[in-house]
Amino acid sequence: MDKIKHLLKAREITSLLIVVFVFLLVGLVNPSFLQISNILLCLNGGVVYTIVAIGSAFVILTGEIDISVGATLGLSAAVAGSMIRDGKSWGAAILAAVVIGAFVGIVNGIGVTVFRIPSIIMTLGINGIVRGMSYVYTNGKWVENVQFEFKALAQATLPGGMTYFYFSALVLAVVIFFLLTKTKKGRYFAAVGDNVDGATLIGIPVGRIKMFAYIICGIMSAVAGLLYVSRVGFVTPTAGSGYEMKAIAACVLGGISLSGGKGSVIGATIGAITMASISRILVFLQFSSDYDNTITGVLLITIVVADVLLERHRKEKARRIRLSVKTADYTLGGNAHE
Amino acid sequence: MNNQLKKIIFRWESVLVLLLVIEVIVFGIINPKFLQISVLLGSINDFIPICIIALFVTFVMITGGIDIQAGSIVGLTSIFIGLLWKDLGVNIWVAAALSLVVGGLCGALSGFFVGFVGVQPMVITLGGQFLFSGLAIVITKLSATESYKGISGFPQSFTDFSKGHMAGIPNQVVVFGVLIILSYLLLHRTKYGRSVFLCGVNRNAAEYSGIKTSLIIMSTYILTGISASVAGVLMTGYLGTAKADFGKELTLPIITAVVLGGTSNTGGKGGVVGTALATIAVGTMRFGLSMSGMNTQYLDMPVGILLVLAVAVRTIKDNPKILQYFSVRKRSN
Repeated sequence: MDKIKHLLKAREITSLLIVVFVFLLVGLVNPSFLQISNILLCLNGGVVYTIVAIGSAFVILTGEIDISVGATLGLSAAVAGSMIRDGKSWGAAILAAVVIGAFVGIVNGIGVTVFRIPSIIMTLGINGIVRGMSYVYTNGKWVENVQFEFKALAQATLPGGMTYFYFSALVLAVVIFFLLTKTKKGRYFAAVGDNVDGATLIGIPVGRIKMFAYIICGIMSAVAGLLYVSRVGFVTPTAGSGYEMKAIAACVLGGISLSGGKGSVIGATIGAITMASISRILVFLQFSSDYDNTITGVLLITIVVADVLLERHRKEKARRIRLSVKTADYTLGGNAHE
Repeated sequence: MNNQLKKIIFRWESVLVLLLVIEVIVFGIINPKFLQISVLLGSINDFIPICIIALFVTFVMITGGIDIQAGSIVGLTSIFIGLLWKDLGVNIWVAAALSLVVGGLCGALSGFFVGFVGVQPMVITLGGQFLFSGLAIVITKLSATESYKGISGFPQSFTDFSKGHMAGIPNQVVVFGVLIILSYLLLHRTKYGRSVFLCGVNRNAAEYSGIKTSLIIMSTYILTGISASVAGVLMTGYLGTAKADFGKELTLPIITAVVLGGTSNTGGKGGVVGTALATIAVGTMRFGLSMSGMNTQYLDMPVGILLVLAVAVRTIKDNPKILQYFSVRKRSN
């Protein structure tokens, strides 16, 4: 029972409930929305967001931020896409993408941990540099005619209709979730984000953890870039721009606090589904999908404001209880609380 | 005297001036056309929205916040003016004035949540960015004009305001100049400005000393919103069309300019002079590089490098311990 209570209090559950509630609401208006095939389409369509959001979640958990993910996605997609187009082996293309992602992550990590550059500024600068590099690499042209076999990967589904991609993303999210919450090293990430000084004092290598978070984030963006090539089939020089903000929004919708230490990758996954489903939901409600951004904005603002107000209410309540205990002690004439 | 001179030389603003001078000399050597005053002044027209908004985002960042929604307000303003003028037949100047109110309201919404509710500025303005750019698209659909074309055909007097010159200086530069002076006076010469700084240094202390910090913080977002609308009005007039996606790519350049200008993103430090110089330095660099034959699409790269380098140098200067870290490392190796 206690375990269930604990589970219900988790921040991800609130986000999940919101998603379920919204889906049911849309289902009431248009029952065909709740068909399994449609829900699977929502999920499958959100796979790139999901991977980027999981990567960003690492960095945000440690209390930093990464806005270079969109550019990293674009560059790795362009490089991998062109390699596959030119008939290089897939392994080499995947390796190239991952190396790019890891390298961007290392540069970000060095800037933030060694040179102590505020993370938003460091990653903003790197965002510009990496985006410029993908222009240089592609010469401003689109990468097209990617091998059909590679594109077919994105369409391959498990029995039931879920794509292999989304299934792997889910498995990845669950594995990372348990690594981050159940292992000692995994919990370092949240510890660093929650209280840097405390983490330093108890001997957690703060710099190394942050560095590691950036590298994972970079690699995840690169993987997302590979999925992007496979799903979309072509890469424009601006591919992935705007993903950084959407990934952050997904994390926030999933209950991850931007001040660090709170939330989990499961939350990020749920948030990514929400982000990816909004335009579909609008279509089923017979609205134009032009309302996409408006709804995202309203949802984001509502959720964070509600979160802050609830948190404040909880703190106030706890304070009242503490106060009443203290006064009760004093009226009894003792100092039992000591 | 010597000390005072040192103080001036080692100010961040002097570094920016030096950077600007170097840029002018280098680009002047590469392409002598660059040195013509009219070309230089004309180039400012292209990045004036960044300059104007960055001035007031400085206020927000001094209070310890950040504003990433300003770019989307530019588009909203632009399409709002277009709709009022074309579909509702409102006088263009009245429409422009109303759009400033809209910008202020947009800023007030986020400012309220940051100041009074205590939501993180980054998150709430991210939400605002989605919301306002979304609203701009929704408004476009209300108009009879096809959205991809944009609304055009504005009265001559309106477009002339943005394109025109005053004693040889482009009107937009004049507006920028006036806003620099206004924001300088407001931030560095008034009680309000002191409160803005104090909110960033220590909000609790400011609250205890009788400053209504929530209101001050909210006001900085309102100012930014209004400045974004001013930029939107100028941009609409200069380009002669109203479009929902104006300003979409301004967010990152604005933050770059403010940070490069010496304002710390943790609050309490900074100034509008630095921001103004930084916007001009970045703009001149982009313009100079493209005049020297660099592909415009590559321009994000040098700007990114400049940003990272400048901030790295500044953090090391403030924090010499970082260098020690390296020397210790070497010894232990």
